Amino acid sequence: MNSINLPKVNWCKNCVYPSSSAVTLTFNNDGVCSGCIVNAQKKNVNWEDRLKLLLQDVEKYRKPSGYECIIPVSGGKDSYYQVHFVKEKLNLNPLLVTYNGNNYLDTGWTNLMNMKKVFKCDHIILSPNEDMLIRLNRLGFTKTGDMNWQNHCGIMTSPIQAAVKYEIPLMFWGEHGWTELGGMHSINDFPEFTYRYRVDQQLRGYDWWDFIKDKEEKIHENEMELFKYPSDEKIQKVGVRGIHLGFFDPWDANVHTKLVMDKYNWKPSPVAFERTYRRMSNLDDKYENGVHDYMKWIKFGYGRATDHASKDIRNGAMTRDEGVAMVKKYDHVYPSDTDFWLNYVDRDKEWFWQVANKFRSPFVWSLENNNWNKRNIWDKNESK
Amino acid sequence: MYKKRLIPVLFLKDGWMVRSEGFVFHQFIGDPISHVRRMVDWDVDELILLDIGEKEFSFQHQRIDYKYKPVSSLLEFINMIASECRIPLTFGGKINSIDDIKIRIQNGADKISINTLFYKNPNVIEEAAKIFGKQAIVASIDYKIIDSSPIVFCDRGRLNTKKSVEEWAIFVENCGAGEILLNSIDRDGNAMGYDLETINVISNKVKIPVIACGGAGRKEHFLSCYSNTSVSALAAGNIFHFKENEYPNSKKYLHSKMKNIRFRGEYE
Repeated sequence: MNSINLPKVNWCKNCVYPSSSAVTLTFNNDGVCSGCIVNAQKKNVNWEDRLKLLLQDVEKYRKPSGYECIIPVSGGKDSYYQVHFVKEKLNLNPLLVTYNGNNYLDTGWTNLMNMKKVFKCDHIILSPNEDMLIRLNRLGFTKTGDMNWQNHCGIMTSPIQAAVKYEIPLMFWGEHGWTELGGMHSINDFPEFTYRYRVDQQLRGYDWWDFIKDKEEKIHENEMELFKYPSDEKIQKVGVRGIHLGFFDPWDANVHTKLVMDKYNWKPSPVAFERTYRRMSNLDDKYENGVHDYMKWIKFGYGRATDHASKDIRNGAMTRDEGVAMVKKYDHVYPSDTDFWLNYVDRDKEWFWQVANKFRSPFVWSLENNNWNKRNIWDKNESK
Repeated sequence: MYKKRLIPVLFLKDGWMVRSEGFVFHQFIGDPISHVRRMVDWDVDELILLDIGEKEFSFQHQRIDYKYKPVSSLLEFINMIASECRIPLTFGGKINSIDDIKIRIQNGADKISINTLFYKNPNVIEEAAKIFGKQAIVASIDYKIIDSSPIVFCDRGRLNTKKSVEEWAIFVENCGAGEILLNSIDRDGNAMGYDLETINVISNKVKIPVIACGGAGRKEHFLSCYSNTSVSALAAGNIFHFKENEYPNSKKYLHSKMKNIRFRGEYE
């Protein structure tokens, strides 16, 4: 097929992100993406000064007894690192809060359960009603092309609910995902957790109320308690702030993994994933590296291997050519857990494809003779 | 006495809202609608939307999985924003004719911010002020400090007009502008505070209200500018994205320090 007829997509000259990225990128005149530009800003940061700044900032939150902060945790390598950082470097007493989207891999669940032991912390786990969750999986998929909308919403809501309920004004998130991947903010902005970041970046403009009026998939408002963001008044009254530790620490996933494995016996996946080469990411959700990620390929024409390779190119663990090889090897792979998920939500493959294909971006894909085609980073004249 | 105003600015590029730095580095920070909805929650005094995209009328954000679907025309876009809010709306960018002004006003803009056209064809503005009234015309002046004096740049900060800001401010006032939006290119996105000196000189030079922009990184910067200059309003872009409820918190802070700030007390 002649690529001239395919929608135009370009790739970052430094990492392997396409211009069609879900995490919106801008490109400078040299064709380098905003994610790479912002990551390069980190080289000029004095991390010791930043830690001092943070220590000054948290001083007013110290208490003679009780919880001094909330850490939202999934049990992953970054969660372990967050708790390590807060306890060892900030010397604060955290309450751990987890949203359980019912999709944990065995290793991920074991890691999560071990947190209360290895860190000697109290830990609240919020698990929604499974029957509702199955309906919300289906509705997330038909509405946004993402069965894990429930996960994003639960993860971004239950910690701040706990902060308001227990009157703990400080939350510590890990990296600011959209800055880390796409360079949404500059490294000197220190953006904190906001409602807009939750609803716009994480939830694609949708909130819980968009999921209760569907004609086919009945979900009642009283089933959605764990997804309701507290009012501005309540947040203001407690004075809740969510600080992203990624602005106070170099935040290198490979470094964190080694540290938490050595020090806290954290375990990566014992088996390889089908759609990426990393074994230490997304153990809290069996679909996150599988069918959920496959929908990213359907929508935007790339997948988790692109995310992971771009991060590894930026932190110097991989060359761009090696990254391109990973993209070529993994991004298109149809994951076997699709069947598992369809069984969970009681639907068939025909239904899956009918819905999935509606989300093919016309800015990426072109249908010809019943085949979906797109440009690829390894095509001649595309990559460099 | 008129109350001082605090005005969020949204920079738009290809259908997205962007964070701007030095007028050259732009980072996508999200869908404008989600942000406008927060502005409504916060009861902001006014809202300025500046289309700084290179492409002509590009409002395609290309995300088909978003709640707010991509729109294909400027009209659809302004309509969509205006239908979300009753906040006084200033719309700027790519204004070349009376028709450009008319179409934006008809679709929900209350005021039009004009920059390069003052340089290229000021006659159009004199005519526009007669048709739509002075209150509808905001003269946007972007400047850089060159050899210690502020010099006007137009065409998205790329064309050096070699004119001094003082001279230019009087010129736009005489052309029929109802307000001046004064933006420091040097301070855009640097979060180091406003250019108090230039702001004060210009605010005292003209009779029309001056809205200053560029450099706000902390709420103390607002207070410092209100306290040290006679500016009528302050505008800011990036800062309202950094912390939750930064706008109402800034208002509350300013209200505790100065009397003449527009404040309804909802945030008490």
